[in-house]
Amino acid sequence: MEGRILEHPILNFQRKARVKIFFEGREIEAYEGESVAAALHAAGIRVLRYTPIDGRPAGFFCAVGKCSACLMEIDGIPNVRSCMTKVRDGMQIRRQNKNGDLL
Amino acid sequence: MMYDAVIIGGGPAGMSAATILGDKVKTLIIDENDRLGGQLVKQTHKFFGDHEHYASMRGFEIADKLLKEIQKKPVLISLSSTVIGIYPQNTVAYVKDGQIQKVQYKKLLLATGAMERQLPFVNSDLPGVYGAGAIQTLMNQYGIFPGKRFLIVGSGNIGLILAYQLAQSGVEVKMILEALDKVGGYEVHANKVKRLGIPILTGHTIVRAIGDEKVEGAVIARVDKNNIVKGTEREVVVDTICVAVGLTPLIELAEQSGAKVSYIPELGGYVPLRDERMRTTNKDVFVAGDLSSIEEATTAMMEGKIAAMQMVEDLTGENLEDKIYDDLNSLAIFRSGPKSAKIRTGLEKMGINVPKIDLPKPQRFERYDDSKLHAVIECTEEIPCNSCEYACKFDAIKVGININSVPSFDPAKCTGCALCVTSCPGLAIFMKRSEDKAATLGIPYEFLPLPKMDDKMWGLDREGNYVCDVKVKRVVKNPNKTNIVYVELPSEFADMVRHVKYPSKESPYVCRCEEVTLDEIEKVIDLGVTDFEELKRLTRVTMGPCNGKNCKMVVLGILSKKTGIPISSLSHGTSRPPTKPIEFRAFLKEGEE
Ligand SMILES: Cc1cc2nc3c(=O)[nH]c(=O)nc-3n(C[C@H](O)[C@H](O)[C@H](O)COP(=O)(O)OP(=O)(O)OC[C@H]3O[C@@H](n4cnc5c(N)ncnc54)[C@H](O)[C@@H]3O)c2cc1C
Repeated sequence: MEGRILEHPILNFQRKARVKIFFEGREIEAYEGESVAAALHAAGIRVLRYTPIDGRPAGFFCAVGKCSACLMEIDGIPNVRSCMTKVRDGMQIRRQNKNGDLL
Repeated sequence: MMYDAVIIGGGPAGMSAATILGDKVKTLIIDENDRLGGQLVKQTHKFFGDHEHYASMRGFEIADKLLKEIQKKPVLISLSSTVIGIYPQNTVAYVKDGQIQKVQYKKLLLATGAMERQLPFVNSDLPGVYGAGAIQTLMNQYGIFPGKRFLIVGSGNIGLILAYQLAQSGVEVKMILEALDKVGGYEVHANKVKRLGIPILTGHTIVRAIGDEKVEGAVIARVDKNNIVKGTEREVVVDTICVAVGLTPLIELAEQSGAKVSYIPELGGYVPLRDERMRTTNKDVFVAGDLSSIEEATTAMMEGKIAAMQMVEDLTGENLEDKIYDDLNSLAIFRSGPKSAKIRTGLEKMGINVPKIDLPKPQRFERYDDSKLHAVIECTEEIPCNSCEYACKFDAIKVGININSVPSFDPAKCTGCALCVTSCPGLAIFMKRSEDKAATLGIPYEFLPLPKMDDKMWGLDREGNYVCDVKVKRVVKNPNKTNIVYVELPSEFADMVRHVKYPSKESPYVCRCEEVTLDEIEKVIDLGVTDFEELKRLTRVTMGPCNGKNCKMVVLGILSKKTGIPISSLSHGTSRPPTKPIEFRAFLKEGEE
């Protein structure tokens, strides 16, 4: 089950405006205020990068900016913490391979 | 820019400090998130703790409350600001909007909290192995389903609360594993989860995660003294694994500020050395909250206040000694219970004097008049919490000055108002009235959909097993979202049922030894069998190794409901030895083969 929670016994989720973000060129549903990692997770995307040495798939662990497991290439910049970066209209997100490319 | 006081970290510790510093000196509070609150903003459960420090409010509501306090004061708040280092000349550097900013402080309070520990097992780096905080962030902050079927590793309060929160979102929790031989967190939190039918397997751990690109399952096994017991490995199918094995303080900034740190495992690992009033080995630097020792929101708030008052004294010379002593005393009482033994040891290692507290415990009452509606308090572990005492307007519940005492309840004073049921953070209070045949039971309920009058539901016991059918008589909706569902049920079961749920399509197992379902039993009764012994022979219920201890009453209840004969008039069959499973060898004479 991915996707968004619509009804909750305690919380009342009010989603803000829809924004267009792109993962590997494909449009993903996202709402203002969400982190990149959260929006990707809602779309069923758990692999955020491949590790530098063994090339293993990796996703986030802490989702609050501490563990640095969620580094991605966002708008051409590598090694960005996707859990601490809010989605922006037109954002281009890519899985990071190894250490990421600056060029 | 120079500030009198800079606070790094806007959780309960930093926020409480800001409410005091804000009035007195030029104060800046910095946090990496886009709102203040720290751990609190993701917590949807009611916090246990001290009434004075917002116990019984939900975490995110406590954050709102503290924020309102701060907003009344001239405190500068810098959000979405990540502090990257402390530099010479009392300089704090942080990044905001992609730019490095620098500020200077006269006094610094570090309240950066903690981060979650990782647990190394094969494939623990696989996407889908998440920390508890990550899951709460997705689920409670962004409203995103964190997964479909969960395995939780760790039965401390965080693992237990997370399991409950997942269930509230409609996510399945397969089980909680605990390597030790007993549950780590508070009993009331464990009970909340167990009665939903989520098993807690003590003496078990995870061996590996299964999957290529993401989690598709896990191998679990028994552990004995930290070793996996060979041959006990088995697979479970889950798509998400939550690691909830504790927190460790975030000490980097403290170290950079020149504060000495030391390894004190009882407090959470490496922690800054500090005195009773939270001053580190650098006289201008203070710490508070989870950074100083992994504890509770209440202690974080108290420590934040104590640190702030000392900072005010340093900066302005104002005398706040009386207030500081008061707060130190409350803190000592809070930490005097059995659950804080580790913290006390840790503090002593740091050289902090931990006063011995021996306070009277309230008197207990035993008279119950079951013919009137009254509270039933199932809070038997000494934990620091007094919400129920403050909720009761009729003086029927007492915790008293020793906040760790188990509440004492005087049924004679109870009016049946159920305010205690609504307020109890452990959901450990129920309402009961029991007459000859039928009983009324009030159960705290925090799930969707909310039951409706006259609905038929299943009554479940403390382990989530089916006990009997119940009928909804009344539903009380409360503003704090802990609603109360009053159900009618046969009085024999009033002390067994502790949760209700809508019947599911699959029939529940009644006899777990012989694996007989409710459906199978009802079918046999429908064929005309009304005698318990006959029912036993035909279905094998109560004939397994437990000798009917688990299910006999439940089976009799089903028989009684179907036939209209009260349980007291039914024959309950013959009890045969052995009453417990024993080895066959026991029947041989000595020397016989
Ligand atoms: C699941 C769960 C359930 C809990 N239940 C209870 C309960 O029922 N009752 C109870 O009393 N307690 C409970 N607690 C514990 C309580 O939440 C914590 O003890 C408390 O939040 C600690 O407060 P704090 O202010 O020290 O740290 P935190 O709340 O962790 O706040 C620290 C803040 O500092 C910020 N920060 C850290 N580093 C930086 C940096 N470099 N730059 C900028 N900002 C930074 C963080 O982003 C965070 O906002 C629970 C905790 C969890 C996880």
